[in-house]
Amino acid sequence: MTTGTTTAPTTATAGAAKRANRPRRNRLPLVLILPTLVLLLAALGYPIGWQVVTSFKQYGLMQQFGAPAPFVGLENYTALVTDPYLWTVVVRSVVFCVVTALVTVAIGGAMAVLMNALTTWPRVVLQVALLVAWAMPVVAAMTVWIWIVDWRRGLLNWALVRLGVDGAEGHNWLAEPLSFFVVASVIIVWMSVPFVALSIYAGLTQVSTEVLEAAALDGANGLQRLRHIILPLIAPVLSIVMLLQLIWDLRVFTQIKLLQDAGGVTNETNLLGTYVYQLGTGKGDFGTASAVSILILGLTIALSAYYVRSLMKEDV
Amino acid sequence: MHRSRARRTLLTALALVLAVVWAFPVYWMLNSAFLPNVVLQSATPTFLPFGGSFDNLRTVATEPSFGSALTISLVVTLTTVVAAIMVAFLGALAISRFRFRGRGSFVLALLLIQMLPAEGLFIAQYKMMSSLGLLNQAIGLAVLYTAAVVPFTIWMLRGFVAGIPADLEEAAMVDGLSRTRAFLKITFPLLAPGLVASAVYAFLQAWNEFTVALVVMTEEQSRTLPLWLRGFVQASASRETDWGQVMAASTLVAVPVIIFFLVVQGRMSSGLVGGAVKG
Amino acid sequence: MIRRLPLVALTSAALVLTACASGGDSSDTPAATSSTSNAGKTVTLWLAGGDTPDELRTYLADTFKAKTGATLKIEEQAWPDLVTKLTTSLPDAENTPDVVELGNTQSPTFTNVGAFLDVSDMYDELGGTKLLQSFVDAGSVDGKKYALPYYFGSRYMFQRKDVWKEAGVETPTTLDEFNAAVTKVAQSNPRHIKNFSGFFIGGQDWRNGISWIFANGGDLAKKENGQWVSTLSDPNSLKGLQQLQTIQKTASNAPADAKDQTPWLYVNDNDVITDADGKATGKTSLSAATIMAPGWAHWSIGDAAKKDGKVVREWNDKKFGTFVLPGNDGKPAPVFAGGSNIAISAKTKNPELSKELMKIIFSPEYQQKLGGAGLGPANSDYVSSLGTDEFAKALIDSASNSKLTPAAPGWAAVEASMVLEEFFGKIEGSNDLAALAKAYDAKITPMLNGK
Repeated sequence: MTTGTTTAPTTATAGAAKRANRPRRNRLPLVLILPTLVLLLAALGYPIGWQVVTSFKQYGLMQQFGAPAPFVGLENYTALVTDPYLWTVVVRSVVFCVVTALVTVAIGGAMAVLMNALTTWPRVVLQVALLVAWAMPVVAAMTVWIWIVDWRRGLLNWALVRLGVDGAEGHNWLAEPLSFFVVASVIIVWMSVPFVALSIYAGLTQVSTEVLEAAALDGANGLQRLRHIILPLIAPVLSIVMLLQLIWDLRVFTQIKLLQDAGGVTNETNLLGTYVYQLGTGKGDFGTASAVSILILGLTIALSAYYVRSLMKEDV
Repeated sequence: MHRSRARRTLLTALALVLAVVWAFPVYWMLNSAFLPNVVLQSATPTFLPFGGSFDNLRTVATEPSFGSALTISLVVTLTTVVAAIMVAFLGALAISRFRFRGRGSFVLALLLIQMLPAEGLFIAQYKMMSSLGLLNQAIGLAVLYTAAVVPFTIWMLRGFVAGIPADLEEAAMVDGLSRTRAFLKITFPLLAPGLVASAVYAFLQAWNEFTVALVVMTEEQSRTLPLWLRGFVQASASRETDWGQVMAASTLVAVPVIIFFLVVQGRMSSGLVGGAVKG
Repeated sequence: MIRRLPLVALTSAALVLTACASGGDSSDTPAATSSTSNAGKTVTLWLAGGDTPDELRTYLADTFKAKTGATLKIEEQAWPDLVTKLTTSLPDAENTPDVVELGNTQSPTFTNVGAFLDVSDMYDELGGTKLLQSFVDAGSVDGKKYALPYYFGSRYMFQRKDVWKEAGVETPTTLDEFNAAVTKVAQSNPRHIKNFSGFFIGGQDWRNGISWIFANGGDLAKKENGQWVSTLSDPNSLKGLQQLQTIQKTASNAPADAKDQTPWLYVNDNDVITDADGKATGKTSLSAATIMAPGWAHWSIGDAAKKDGKVVREWNDKKFGTFVLPGNDGKPAPVFAGGSNIAISAKTKNPELSKELMKIIFSPEYQQKLGGAGLGPANSDYVSSLGTDEFAKALIDSASNSKLTPAAPGWAAVEASMVLEEFFGKIEGSNDLAALAKAYDAKITPMLNGK
């Protein structure tokens, strides 16, 4: 794609830029990002700054109510890092996040391909189904899911028993951590697939049918067309979606918290999201909670470094 | 012919199965919205709302607080969506069509912001809103939501913009169109699905957000729908939770999102039909 | 002109004097709270959950307005969100609520960080030593009073009389009898229900479980030399824990991870619903002969019936019964008291008006209204207003000996860390309770004294 040389091309988009000839430094892009910068600085500047600073202070409920907040340097961090429980939670969260994200993107991608191959009305039916699933308020969705896996009156046990699995009667799906996480993963996959599927599908519609037809004429079959033409073209969308799933699944909170309220042993099923909540809102230890948040940021960067680098590199 | 018809049937069947699986919890929510609470508590699931009624829905919809919560949520959310799409679109254009100094850092900053968990920020956000006198104001909440949604939206739109080769515009310009017209006629319609996806995402984020709304909208009359829904889900000391009503309330909360999608989808597809992918 | 001045001056002086005099007469408090000066002011009261019925809220608002001329705004907060909102709003002078209700377990923590106004000067006027002392202690620091009791609840046993009768077991009168009785009912299982419990108590249900610790003279924590220590492994506590373990093993078939939510589901016959045609649907989902629950649970226990188009539970004396967990010493066993405290925000801009509100809340009329609504009034003088039905009796009896969680500054952190749930969940499967208890004491003690 050779859109000219290294100097920024002039463009008249939704702005007032004129068709100047080769200004040495094009102001337009800076103007375009200005609203974003202003917005982010105004709305996020203080809170993020506060959180970073607080992570270096001793800040508990007392400080919230006016006691001075002494600087303790890296004490919060060292206390965290030397706490084996934190590492348990970290490992659990990373494993959970990677598995869930991969499954989500795989299923979502497959669905997108399916949608692309469907005729109109089945596709719309599927899209609407996905959309209503996505639109469902999390609390309502969790209520339904918790009922489905309820040990006494749940649909899952009822259905299994009817299918002949007697041991399923009264089986408690949330009591054991592993089973708990499988349930959590299924729920989160269910909640995340619509977005992934619809986004990837949107990307697929951008792929020009002519190129595909030409390739088909040249003898490429469906799978080859998928691998060599479609995938590279939707790679940007695909990688962003995967990255976002990783980021979100690492921080998942509401679903885990509601599941914990319904059953399971809290401290054996804590992930990073609920752990931060426990420290902050629960114990009022905002200094440590801030430190954990910063650690999560670091962890996310580490986890996604590969993706981030490839994304930055492909920015021609 | 045979093979493709069989194939099509198979795919359609698959699509329908998936649709049923995915929509099941929603169907259950609707089913429960029509059933009385006691039936819902029984050990045997009731699959079809025979003998049900609109009672739950009616009770919930006529609650005075529902109307005001609905209005506030609509105002906050629509403001967020419009603002976020506009701001993010400009930003996405900037980073995908131009090269400029600081682009790398900007992009990186956007990414980093999204990685920071939002759960720990509510205390600082409260302090900020309080000192600006923006507590209990829809605009204050909308600003916070927009800022929360924009980084991701830029990333997403960037992906879509990057997927449209600039050659298309070039080709149109060779044909005599100005840059702007080329953009509007060729590129923009191709972006439509991406814009739809982004808009729906922004809508959902703002519509369902809870924690920030909890601390910033402190008064009962300025509650957004998620806060209002919370009131329903909590059993009081002398009442059992009425799950039928909870589901009815959830249904009412979910409906505007569907409407929004249908509206946006409809308007966007007309852009698609405009023959964007032609020569 | 000059001649009129003295007249004008005299008249004005007379007017001013009259105004002062009438201002002083119409209220028993200084002119700062006179109706005219308060007309534009609003005092905000945060109530937690729906415990306080609408009738009482209206009474408060009307009485407050009549007495002070200012408006009372009542905002209801959901229990799970209360701590978050208190944390952000109380320190903010511009936006703080003036008076707040909060749980008695949350009171020590917020009191100790200075969230509330010192009301020691009003203490005697509001009821003094007649107020529930354990709740007062939860809201005091160094003898100064900050958060006072609002209402108390208690918990007692709900039983299926019919099932007990079928099992041939008498209602127990001592704790030892209870422990044996529920095991017998479970083993007898007269209706041959799968996974039937003589007494359903969830594995992680510590709020009910600690009754056994208390009943044997133990406690969760005590203050030693100015520092709080966790006492799960004290001999008396261990005795209670062992009894609890036996019950979990032989009388209760509750899952190990069950907490104390919605216990009434297990003791109701959920499916005996008569629909419009009088047909019953499905099979019974009864699975326990006894549960332990807070007093307000009785609204959810009974036979399902339709009233005004809504489904309610009607108590059926032949099927259901209540009794108070008996101790071994002739008195009711000490159980965990539920209930709330009420306090004035330290940053309030309307301290005088807030104090007026407190006076109304602690007035005989309001205290009796609380009792009438089934909420135990803070002032023991008015406990009789709870009534004389079996629920009132059970409430009063079980509350007479009830205990609170330790008034340690870090107690809220202990609850938030779910460490008690964790501990209790492990009791059933433990081979060495003493060691387990000691291990958890070591975890809990550091948290108790707060940071």
